[in-house]
Amino acid sequence: MREMKISLTFQKQAYAVFFAVILSLVRGVTYSNEIGIALEAPMAILAFTFCADTYVQEIASKRSEIWRLCPMKKRMNSIYRRMVMQVMFLLAVAAASYGLFFLFQNPSIYGMEQSGLKIEICQFFVYFAAIAVTLGFWGLLSNLVSCLFRNMWAGIGGCMVLWLITNSTIGDRIFGAWNLFSYSFRELEDSSDFSWIYGKVVCIVIGIMAVAVLPKIIQKRG
Amino acid sequence: MGIKIEDLTVTFRNDVTAVNHADLEIPKGIFGLLGENGAGKTTLMRVLTTVLSPTSGTVTLDGMFYSEGNFEKIRRKIGYLPQEIDLYPSLSVQECLEYMGDLSGIPRQTYKERINYYLEKTNLSEHRRKKMKQLSGGMKRRVGLIQALLNEPEFLIVDEPTTGLDPEERIRIRNLLVDFSEGRTVLFSTHVVEDLVATCNQLAVMKNGKFLYSGNMKELLEQARGHIWICKTKEEGTARELEKQYHVSSKQYVGDELQMKLISETPPQMECSSCEATLEDAYIYLMNKEPHNAKYGAAH
Repeated sequence: MREMKISLTFQKQAYAVFFAVILSLVRGVTYSNEIGIALEAPMAILAFTFCADTYVQEIASKRSEIWRLCPMKKRMNSIYRRMVMQVMFLLAVAAASYGLFFLFQNPSIYGMEQSGLKIEICQFFVYFAAIAVTLGFWGLLSNLVSCLFRNMWAGIGGCMVLWLITNSTIGDRIFGAWNLFSYSFRELEDSSDFSWIYGKVVCIVIGIMAVAVLPKIIQKRG
Repeated sequence: MGIKIEDLTVTFRNDVTAVNHADLEIPKGIFGLLGENGAGKTTLMRVLTTVLSPTSGTVTLDGMFYSEGNFEKIRRKIGYLPQEIDLYPSLSVQECLEYMGDLSGIPRQTYKERINYYLEKTNLSEHRRKKMKQLSGGMKRRVGLIQALLNEPEFLIVDEPTTGLDPEERIRIRNLLVDFSEGRTVLFSTHVVEDLVATCNQLAVMKNGKFLYSGNMKELLEQARGHIWICKTKEEGTARELEKQYHVSSKQYVGDELQMKLISETPPQMECSSCEATLEDAYIYLMNKEPHNAKYGAAH
């Protein structure tokens, strides 16, 4: 609860919700299976700006000198708890945004008969799994880069560069199914194609590496 | 045992040397640290809290060397109140201190008892539900001090703990530090000389990264004895002339006369009387007691 109050301030919650509402209002979609594509890349931006200050707020507020005196395990637990809470919140926003697209954009759906509903539900869960990985990855990465440079803007800037590279035609051409945004670049017509999972596996692997490296950076850089 | 600093030097990347071959022994009890702004006090404290690594020299705490391998053990013995700190504005006082207790690895029951005790001692009990952002500067300072005391450290480092406090609160904090210092070491850095007079016997004075003085307060006062003078004048021109020639540690109007306290190696060349040195006078005397100091030279 205390970590929640520290890392999920009212301002942060407000701008995340505002971002989701505006996005669902201005980004047009024709079919329901386009919602995931419309959401993934912008949600990644939200994730890396949202999580960039997870630890470096301690540096900015000069609390890091006190943090240094605390046991490493406790410090890391607190950082990871903050991260989990932020990603869970963003996940809830991402799920709500999916619904907002239905509300504001009224996309064509597979019909309300049983099989159509099943496809829509299945589509949502696939989106939910993909966006969970995306949010976790970008959140962890921005926190890691911020800690490395002891500056939130370094985390946001570094992630923005990577975002621009991977969320582009060039990125799609170079990385293909291994792209971080493989879910957005997937073949929409072929719903049985799950090769985009490779890209998400890359996200998970890099995310695990970020989790493993973070304690060393915190210890070294404080 | 306490803390032993030997030949300590801290040079930053921009070639600024903040601490320059400094030697110091800090015994048990409250130890005062005085010095002008930029003297190197905060840098020294950052080394002592393991935040900064020295360029050269050694530091030991109760015989334990400051080295990478010992840092975890040393950190557990230290409590620190930095000069500037902004504790979690969105948390209440109670939540903030509980969070710091959790982070320090103190058992829940223990830190809850200590929080209650120190909130009472610092007169903050009735503000425990207030958010940190709602507190005044002085209250925030007191909460900062409680977080430093929470793990009952063997070595407490406090950087200007009384800043922003009213006189009554300052006395309360000073007394708290004196009580706390029993069997422990407290390094008390401040610009408020009165605070040191009221709390410590031992102190060190820093200037340009070096210790000008380290030892007993009485001896420091003794050094200034016979160099503090009281002069009275009615003429503004004379007063200005005195200010040019000597260090004036205080001045006030007494009736229609201006009474000035001067610091000089020899008696000023006008009617004056010698007076007892305060720590402030002794500090000013020491800071300016250099062989080629123009103002001291003027008196000769």
